[in-house]
Amino acid sequence: MSGPAAPTPETVLEWASTVQSTSDKIIRRLAGEYHEDEWGFDEEFAEAVFPLFDFLYSTWWRVKVEGASNLPGHGRALLVANHSGAIFPFDAAMIATAIQKEHPLPRWVRAMVLNWAFDLPFVSYILRRLGGVAANPANLGRLLEEDQPVMVFPEGQKGFGKPFADRYRLQRFGRGGFVEVALETGTPIVPVAVVGAEEIYPKLAESKPLARALGSPYLPITPTFPWLGPLGLLPLPSRWRIEFLEPIDLSGYGPGASEDRSLVFDLSEQVREQVQEALYRGLVARGPAFL
Amino acid sequence: MGDADVKLSTKRIVIAGVSTRWGSELARTLQRRSGVGEIIGIDSAPPRMDLGRTEFVEADIRDPAISRVLPSLEPDVVVHCGIVWYPEKGRPSRALHDINVIGTLQLLAACEKTPGLESLIVRGSASIYGSAPGAPAFFTEDMARRYPLVTRFQRDIGELEGYFDNFARRRPRVACCMLRFQVEIGPGLDTPFNRYLSLPVVPTRMGFDPRLQLLHADDATGALAAATLNPVRGAVNVAPDGAISLSRLLRLCGKSAIGIPPVLGGAINRRVGRYLGSADLYRDGEFLLRYGRGCDNRRLREEVGYELAFDSEGAVRDFARTSRGIQALFQAPHPGSPVRSVPR
Repeated sequence: MSGPAAPTPETVLEWASTVQSTSDKIIRRLAGEYHEDEWGFDEEFAEAVFPLFDFLYSTWWRVKVEGASNLPGHGRALLVANHSGAIFPFDAAMIATAIQKEHPLPRWVRAMVLNWAFDLPFVSYILRRLGGVAANPANLGRLLEEDQPVMVFPEGQKGFGKPFADRYRLQRFGRGGFVEVALETGTPIVPVAVVGAEEIYPKLAESKPLARALGSPYLPITPTFPWLGPLGLLPLPSRWRIEFLEPIDLSGYGPGASEDRSLVFDLSEQVREQVQEALYRGLVARGPAFL
Repeated sequence: MGDADVKLSTKRIVIAGVSTRWGSELARTLQRRSGVGEIIGIDSAPPRMDLGRTEFVEADIRDPAISRVLPSLEPDVVVHCGIVWYPEKGRPSRALHDINVIGTLQLLAACEKTPGLESLIVRGSASIYGSAPGAPAFFTEDMARRYPLVTRFQRDIGELEGYFDNFARRRPRVACCMLRFQVEIGPGLDTPFNRYLSLPVVPTRMGFDPRLQLLHADDATGALAAATLNPVRGAVNVAPDGAISLSRLLRLCGKSAIGIPPVLGGAINRRVGRYLGSADLYRDGEFLLRYGRGCDNRRLREEVGYELAFDSEGAVRDFARTSRGIQALFQAPHPGSPVRSVPR
């Protein structure tokens, strides 16, 4: 063997110590000696998965981020984003990765997850370990009272499972439950617009019989899934752009404001319009979807 | 010594279901406290451990005669520990509905005829909340019956809580406290969950790793005693702080687990269920071991004023430390045996 490729003793030692620390970590984890919080979030697990997210973020989707510092560096915050993905909620993963990489004070953002995801084997506990929590007002309120940053996708299933033809058209924002909780807890809302996640799995149709056969609540059909089997789960390498907008301060509305229906709908609509405008802006700024 | 303790010195406490482990433990805890008056225990069978100065009266709460027995004891406080969560010695699964629902109903009827009654404390169960994929991570007391009551035990609990609420409404002068206990864990316990953990290889549902809250047996007794001395109105969750996932629990206990795919789930669950108690009752466990359950304990800490000694992880670590080895596997402890003190 010749040339500069030969590893120096220092790098060999470095590898050895990496191997040792990794195996130590695995042995420690197998003994149950790790920390998980009361929600089941396991920071060490999230950090172990992070290199994969980082690869998707930097290389696969070439994510560009605007205004990451609009998320307050401490205290509660509610990120409200458009939802898409059809198969996996990679938009949530990339928002979390963007905060880790671009924010001056990175922190792990919890995500409100559709209820049926917790009925799926494996998916349920992977989501939970990464900070996913079942979406309901009780959980959201409690997380915000603990001063956590939380992301919600008010479109829910309607946005996640919408056909490719409807891409970047925001769906209805439910009952505005997220605004109610934000008003109750005095949480600033940070609207987030994610461009790029609509192209990773272009959903053409969905199959109810197949979903029923697999015991899944929903099963999308894309040009590659389920035709190519597991290979069809490979997301397309679209180009992404994530924009964090200015926070909307809700602390000035007073205690009874969450029961004011018209205020809740107005605020919900205001957030929705801001996200929709940012999506149109982002689509222009991004340019071609894949190149 | 606070005012409450001074008043209690003249109070008579009646413990229904005193021969159950929880009733006996409560009697032993209360009589150690200074300032607690007379303690009378009633049950259909005599207690299996020495209850010291606690007086024992043999009476079956399912028997209408309880309506004469209870008023004659002139209780100021009635603690109902007779709700059965799973079959025990002398309490076959067929009798559970009778004991839980009819028994509670008879006891409440007897309480109606007891004029001096000041408070009624019932040791109920958190299984009224159920276990569901999209459930709140921490149920608060107002979230009962959010999900349909699917198992027989859940329906029993739902029914008896209904009677209890009715009684509380009809008798506003009686402080009625319903304690909803989470799953207990402890080295001396003989419950389905502890037996589940003593299996050589523990079956789990493949692909699911529920979040659980495990209440330490010492805290279970302590919280019951605290609520007896300071009954607050309405329901109170008795749950530890924090939560722990089943996989981490098994690793901390040094147990090996095997994931059962859903196709085989039914058959294996029934086998395991029969070993742990009864197949039908174990359906509660099946839901719990799939979706988990968490309860909020702020009312217990702030209103009842009980300081929990262990969080979920601490209870599991204590269990692992004290029960690892041959004793846990081959020598099933008697349900009536006292909790061993924690070696420090």
